Amino acid sequence: MSRKFKKVVEYTFLILLACIFIFPLIWMVASSMKPEANIPVDMGSIQSLLPSIVPSEWFQTYQELFSRFDVFQYIFNSVTYAIVVTLGSIVVNAMAGYAFSKFDFIGKKVLFGLLIALLIVPAETLIITQFTVAHDLGILNTRLAVILPMIANMFFIYLFRNFFKAIPDEIIESVKLDGANYWTIFWKIILPMSKPAIATVGTLSFILSWNDYLWPLMVLTDSEKFPLQVAITNINTTPPVYTNQVMAILTISTIPLIIVYIVAQKYLLQGLGGSGTGIK
Amino acid sequence: MKNINVRESIAAYSFLSPALILLGLFLLLPVLMAIYYAFTDYYLLTPDNRQFVGLENFIAIIKDPIFLQSLKNVALFVVCVIPVQIGSALGLALLINKQRRGNLFFKVAFFAPVVLSLVVISVLWLYLLNPSEGLINVILERVGINPQPFLTSPDQAIYTIVFVSAWQGAGYQMLIFLAGLQNIPSSVYEASKMDGANKWQNFIHITLPLLKPTSILIMITTLIAAFKLIIQPMVMTQGGPMNSTMTPVYYIYQTGFSDRLIGYASAMTVVFGILIGIVTFIQSKVSREDDS
Repeated sequence: MSRKFKKVVEYTFLILLACIFIFPLIWMVASSMKPEANIPVDMGSIQSLLPSIVPSEWFQTYQELFSRFDVFQYIFNSVTYAIVVTLGSIVVNAMAGYAFSKFDFIGKKVLFGLLIALLIVPAETLIITQFTVAHDLGILNTRLAVILPMIANMFFIYLFRNFFKAIPDEIIESVKLDGANYWTIFWKIILPMSKPAIATVGTLSFILSWNDYLWPLMVLTDSEKFPLQVAITNINTTPPVYTNQVMAILTISTIPLIIVYIVAQKYLLQGLGGSGTGIK
Repeated sequence: MKNINVRESIAAYSFLSPALILLGLFLLLPVLMAIYYAFTDYYLLTPDNRQFVGLENFIAIIKDPIFLQSLKNVALFVVCVIPVQIGSALGLALLINKQRRGNLFFKVAFFAPVVLSLVVISVLWLYLLNPSEGLINVILERVGINPQPFLTSPDQAIYTIVFVSAWQGAGYQMLIFLAGLQNIPSSVYEASKMDGANKWQNFIHITLPLLKPTSILIMITTLIAAFKLIIQPMVMTQGGPMNSTMTPVYYIYQTGFSDRLIGYASAMTVVFGILIGIVTFIQSKVSREDDS
């Protein structure tokens, strides 16, 4: 009997804890699926965590939101930025990781030391001079300005380097004897053998790019180039502000991340230290 | 022999060049420029009038009440968020590290906020914490607690941001702790059980020491990330009320980007960058000494 009681207490506690973590998300989705007037009425009752009782009203908010704002454009922008950054990040960082793992070259130690030192530079504090660089390059208010600074990443270079080091040199030497050049070896041997590393870097780059807010906010002025994260604060400050529409754009911007986290969950822990603390 | 080395070097640098150019442009160059601009009165709209002003910016910074306030705020944030977030993460990991029905549900629930971006959680909690119509105050009233001002009070705003940040980040670190816990072989616990140790003794003498490497790694990454706090205050409070949630990075953004005072913002970047460097260095030294 006392064992059973203990179990009940344990489960009640766990369920309460779980509620603290998920009720905001449920409220977000539920509020996006009901008329604006229902939100204050439902507040505090269980109905506040449920969509409208009239199913035909569920997606009305989304229709209103899409007619007021060019949400398709924002989605397209975010997807484009994330895909280009992800592919660029995989290729550029893998190339650098390959050089550090399989080549003996002049200045290797110095260069690697310098890059490791850059790893501890708190990049977010440099936003102002990063902005002046973009300004001096004349790329402000272009999509290029959003993408370029996100590609090279010392942490990812390091990750690739360690992965490539484990690939036996004998394999590379034997293909070299067959007359393959470095470029062929990289594309045909190294990359195909490194799918886990590619998946890890790809997933993390995608998430970093999707969630990027401050930098696109600074370099972009045309709203048709905004990614979703910038669009969110734009929609949240463009009167009239409707709670249900704000919750709808929050939900829309989160769905792709849910998919990425589900599909790529096993690669995320390997990216430990790269990102992903509440305070990113 | 030397010839081969040169050829290999050329090949290596051609593989390195895209990364080196990008890192040079957007990381190394901004570091050097921040150091240089810190000694000038660079105003973005009149670049030609840029003049060398010596230590003027640095003297102004140490007298700038908002900058000093922002340092105090971020120190308070770091000191609170580290124990709250890491403690919650460890607690959740210990709760879940057990065979039981429905465990996967709890794990997913605790992890769920991690999936949301910082902008999304900031906007979402802004609505939930609204003093008059937010869900949190409605719930508090139900259970007999007076409505709280939360983000609109200079006394509560920073702690509210601590809570929201820890709420989002704990789930990720829970998974890292969980991986650490599952790496501890069960034979260790069995051996200590034979010696008559109870659960609490097990936790203090076996679990905690074996989790130490994991904890140190989590501490360092959380510490550095916490110092760079900007998005939550930017979206939720705009640094207010009464600058109580102003952070150094946010103040650098405001002076450098909104006011276009590049020189002054660069000087703050240098000062704050050095401060973060010192704290990180001390932290890694202390944790390394603990190891030996």
